[in-house]
Amino acid sequence: MTKPISFARRAVILAALALPALVQPALAADPAETFVSQNIAKGLTLLNNKTLSKEQKRDQFEQFLLGLTDLKRIADFTLGQYRRTAPPADVAAFEGAFRDYAVAVYQSYFSKYAGQTLKILNTTQRAPTDYIVATQMIDPTDNSGRPPLEVDFRVRTDGPRPVVVDVSVAGVWISLEQRDQFVGFLGQNNGNVKLLISHLAELARQFKS
Amino acid sequence: MRGLRALVLGFCGAALVGCATAPSPEALAANDPYEATNRDVFALNRRLDRVFFLPTLKRYLWLPEGVRTGVHNVLRNLAAPTIFVNDLLQAQPGRAGQTAARFVINSSVGLGGIFDPASGAGLAYHGEDFGQTLAVWGVDEGPYLMLPFLGPGNPRDTAGLVMDTFVLDPTNYISFKQHIWWDAGRQYLNILDLRSQSFEALKGIERSSVDYYASLRNLYRQTRDAEIRNGAPAPDADLPDF
Repeated sequence: MTKPISFARRAVILAALALPALVQPALAADPAETFVSQNIAKGLTLLNNKTLSKEQKRDQFEQFLLGLTDLKRIADFTLGQYRRTAPPADVAAFEGAFRDYAVAVYQSYFSKYAGQTLKILNTTQRAPTDYIVATQMIDPTDNSGRPPLEVDFRVRTDGPRPVVVDVSVAGVWISLEQRDQFVGFLGQNNGNVKLLISHLAELARQFKS
Repeated sequence: MRGLRALVLGFCGAALVGCATAPSPEALAANDPYEATNRDVFALNRRLDRVFFLPTLKRYLWLPEGVRTGVHNVLRNLAAPTIFVNDLLQAQPGRAGQTAARFVINSSVGLGGIFDPASGAGLAYHGEDFGQTLAVWGVDEGPYLMLPFLGPGNPRDTAGLVMDTFVLDPTNYISFKQHIWWDAGRQYLNILDLRSQSFEALKGIERSSVDYYASLRNLYRQTRDAEIRNGAPAPDADLPDF
């Protein structure tokens, strides 16, 4: 049986536990967390904006993505060992094709989260300029009782501005998946980077249409 | 029967040819030394999927979401005893207690598992299987395998699947006639449920992939690793430098 005094005691304990939680965001505010918090909110607002035309939304999303991520760095990473062996002209062409592909595909993915909000859970500092910001996507219309989708952002702060270099959705890091996919494709096609570029261009075209 | 024999012989022949081919450096780097064979099995699985599952799946997706959720809940509830044993084998008594409480509540208040009042009471679902238990015990996953009908896997997870299905599942020990139809029907529903849950996501992945096989291989590995860690962040060593 619960004694009356235990309620008061419980309230004190809860207050003591809640206080650091309320204070924590201010204390833990670091460049990566602030960057993710402000920019993802901006991106979700953009996708929720129903006054923009399809073309306007695409252009603004491209600017948003270019400001949020370092697509050249991600493109080079996804080429794996072929980054070292491919001719520089092919690598440059691949970086351009990857950029178009990423803008088209990510806009399609992000659109699914329109209407949702981002809740920052915590930030882990892996190295002086390498952070992982753990978040959850909160869908206000979801009554299924399922836990919210967990999305982690890997942020590097070693450049003039912070940049996202990878995103993990439900435990799956997207750049890692893309690297395995591209390297697998190149392994099946004698390392033909030009063929990969043409495939990416075709996929970007399909997503835009 | 002749058709079945031809299919089996064809599969064995393809497997032997695949094994006879030296793996590429990319295949070895991806821990997929049987890649040539695995890709053949993947192509076979996609044909089987089109013939055996997609037609039913499309009809299944017509059912109201509430009905599909009920089927999903019943299947998860039937798996609870196996999850409970694996929780214990992984020395996780807290999680085992949670699984047991979910089973009791959902089997009774939830009308045989059709409803999931346990989640509403704060007892969230978690999955476990013997493949994960072996991983927790330190067993290496072994090379990547694409299994006919079953899809992505590896020797460790395949051994785990056999253990879960034929040893740990308590319905094996309930004696009744035509048990095989119960097993076959349940496995078919499990695959149908899994396909219906992942249908849209897989369509999106296939649509945006330049190499769907390699994409699924990576997704399988990352998802399994996350399951084995029970959702905890990946160790630093597993993340690359950019």
